[in-house]
Amino acid sequence: MSRLRRRTALALCAVTGLALLAAGCGGGDEDDSAGLPADQETAAGEVSAPPPGDGDGVRLGILGQCEGPFGGFHEDVVAGTTLALARFAGATPNSSTSALEGFTGAEVAGTPIELVGIGCGDDTADRILQEVRRLVEQLGANVIIGPLSGDEGIAIAEYAKANPELTVFAGISGSQEQTLQVQAPNYFRFYGDGAIWSAGLGDLLHNQEGWETVAIIADDYSFGHTSAAGFVADFCAVGGEVTHRVFPPLGTTDYSSYIAQLPNPDEVDGYFWAVGGTGTQAALEAFVNGKGDLTGDQHAGNLFFNPDLAQALGTDIAGAYVGGFATLPGDVRTPKIEEYLAAADETWETIPGSLSGNEPAAPSVAAAFGFFYGYYTAGVALAEALEAVGGDISDLDAFHAAVSGLTLDLPYGDISLDENRSGIVDVGLSRLALDESGEVVQETVAIVPGVDQTFGGTFSPDTPSPGRDFPACEERDLPWVGNAIPVVDGVPQS
Amino acid sequence: MTVRGQLTRRNLVLAAVVVVLLALPSLATAFFVNFVMTQTLILGLAAATIVFLAKYAGMTSLAQFLLFGVAGFMFGNAALEAGARGLNLGWDAWAAVGFAIVVTTVVAFVLGAIASRTTGIYFLMLTLVYAVIGYFVFAQIVEISGPGGITSIQRPELLGPPVRLYYAGLLLSVLAYLGFRSLGRTAFGLALQGVRDDPIRMASLGFNVALHRTLAFTLAGFVVGLGGLLNVWWNGQIDPASISIGPTLILLIIAVIGGISSFEGAWLGAFVYVLVFTYLRDLPLIDRIGITEARFNTVIGVIVLAIMVLSPEGLTGIIHRLRGRLERPAAAAADTSTGGPLPLRKTEKEFGGTRP
Repeated sequence: MSRLRRRTALALCAVTGLALLAAGCGGGDEDDSAGLPADQETAAGEVSAPPPGDGDGVRLGILGQCEGPFGGFHEDVVAGTTLALARFAGATPNSSTSALEGFTGAEVAGTPIELVGIGCGDDTADRILQEVRRLVEQLGANVIIGPLSGDEGIAIAEYAKANPELTVFAGISGSQEQTLQVQAPNYFRFYGDGAIWSAGLGDLLHNQEGWETVAIIADDYSFGHTSAAGFVADFCAVGGEVTHRVFPPLGTTDYSSYIAQLPNPDEVDGYFWAVGGTGTQAALEAFVNGKGDLTGDQHAGNLFFNPDLAQALGTDIAGAYVGGFATLPGDVRTPKIEEYLAAADETWETIPGSLSGNEPAAPSVAAAFGFFYGYYTAGVALAEALEAVGGDISDLDAFHAAVSGLTLDLPYGDISLDENRSGIVDVGLSRLALDESGEVVQETVAIVPGVDQTFGGTFSPDTPSPGRDFPACEERDLPWVGNAIPVVDGVPQS
Repeated sequence: MTVRGQLTRRNLVLAAVVVVLLALPSLATAFFVNFVMTQTLILGLAAATIVFLAKYAGMTSLAQFLLFGVAGFMFGNAALEAGARGLNLGWDAWAAVGFAIVVTTVVAFVLGAIASRTTGIYFLMLTLVYAVIGYFVFAQIVEISGPGGITSIQRPELLGPPVRLYYAGLLLSVLAYLGFRSLGRTAFGLALQGVRDDPIRMASLGFNVALHRTLAFTLAGFVVGLGGLLNVWWNGQIDPASISIGPTLILLIIAVIGGISSFEGAWLGAFVYVLVFTYLRDLPLIDRIGITEARFNTVIGVIVLAIMVLSPEGLTGIIHRLRGRLERPAAAAADTSTGGPLPLRKTEKEFGGTRP
């Protein structure tokens, strides 16, 4: 009896192994050619093998994250690109309740767009590199949309640089270096970065709220550094002073020792927080324990500040200013935004996005947030660039030139690219406020138009990456100071 | 040993495998060779050092992946010329290789010396501590790790085409395999196995137990450093997350899947791991039963669990048993007079518990 069972188990193991092997070899047999297939990449140094697919169509791969801290946004980001192609390339999603099932029928100017695969990252550069290699080298993708997070963006930009036949539209990865330093000619980012999303906040806090001194606490990794760098550059440019910079490691749960390094509320005019994910609430709670009650007026944060913090911290958080992200808070409703959200609701019945706790919800819930929107802008850029070259991507230089020259007319503001192919965007600043019923809500207070990633020369390809000490606190002229468009009751006053 | 003595079935099969691997770039796709097989050889080489330490010295190490990363970081720091990341020493590629290997070996010697008086679970815990400390050293001292990792690492020109990297992996794997196997018959290897089985008796015979363990750990560090170099050339970048606790455990899991008491098992385990990672999601209808790419770690966990239950000696143990079953009728006929060899349960003997 036991021998029989063991034999069955062994047989099962063997069959599984063989099936895996068959799956592995199956993918490859199509493009076996004479010579040394593995050496195809040698011809032009780092250049990869040509895609196994035939024809001139777009073979699209999307890089998301199905594991790790942003794993909950996997559905959101794929849906973002799908919506763009549904609106501008005639794509039809394969499922009405999930974007991960893919889409069919996408075509621009006679060129079909086929989704060859969805990569599954886990927020590490190593993993996303393996995923993009699978999409490009095994499945033959020639256009990539993604990735999602900061360190991944740098790795993918480097990969794009080494594989010039590829075209990459970044997803929502917010590190500065992927465009400013890597400068891959085939890597395009149609949204801002972590520093850009802090732009205008320092001007507002110094000149309107009268903050002279500020203490900064930010996650100790590329996105935290970049967010803090944008705030430092902006706040110091208009004459403010940064007294403290504290960087807790990513994934800290007990922030008390880092809070202790911050000055007391009577020693500084305010605090800027760029602590993300579950850390935001934990760090603020540690602040309440260590420094006494919160006064919302004395705090500002990057995109991780949101009304949900009030559930744990109470309504005292009201009054805090919040930096921008790719979209605007829900109180701003222009006809273009209404149209965009309605289009999302028409494309699917429900989408289990991260904002609804991965439970089915109206697609517009996910569409109104930056993760979905960043991938949407990438999809729109792909469709419009194909339109611009008449669907002909055989001349890659012409295609890339067309992408670089695009100005996208998008629901949350027009976006064009700078000379490093990174977005010049409008940043929406907001404030947590109490509504009539005493609930904390997010209200847009200003839109800063035309922010680019150089911050008037603070950041350039020759400067170090944003870090614990960089940039230094210096006064300088920023092109957007004084140009912020006030927003009252959700209506821009321009 | 005579040439005739070397012609066992096992050696013939292994030679045939090497021949197939040599011819593979003409048989398989670029992706299979440059991605799947190259990664297999790199991880196999690293896992083989775990097997070496476990098999000969009775030390199950979790620090191998740290040393793997030390080599990568050191090469990146030494070879890169400019950019915002690392020390940018801008050395010649081969000087950087030498530097990386020397640093890795020295680090292995120091760590090995500190750990040389522990065995069993204590050694495992100590090397786990090394892995965690190593991760934080690279995460916190950003001057040598980025900040946020070292990117744009180029291979030496000699290894430019990806297929040459594959052959380099194959060459090093074959050398490491033959080297580790023959080491077991040298005086050092025999003394090491003596230390594994009874350190007190070996000490009383005049052997320096701690030194033997330290040297074994240093040798393993040298070999895993070579693997680390291949890895950083293959991947083009390395960051502190590359050597965090997750990848560290994966290397041990690879060794366990293959069979922690056989050198072949290291590469076999790596092959299974990479195969599952790369192709599991392509199996037809696999997502219908809930196994998507996000469940990859669950599948690996189930495989490890099944192997632990079915065959503590890993996949190589399963292969040996299958072969034994096929050969038994013939062997039984031949061996009736003398009786078969005593059954050997090496794993129990080597990993049965903690020793002083």
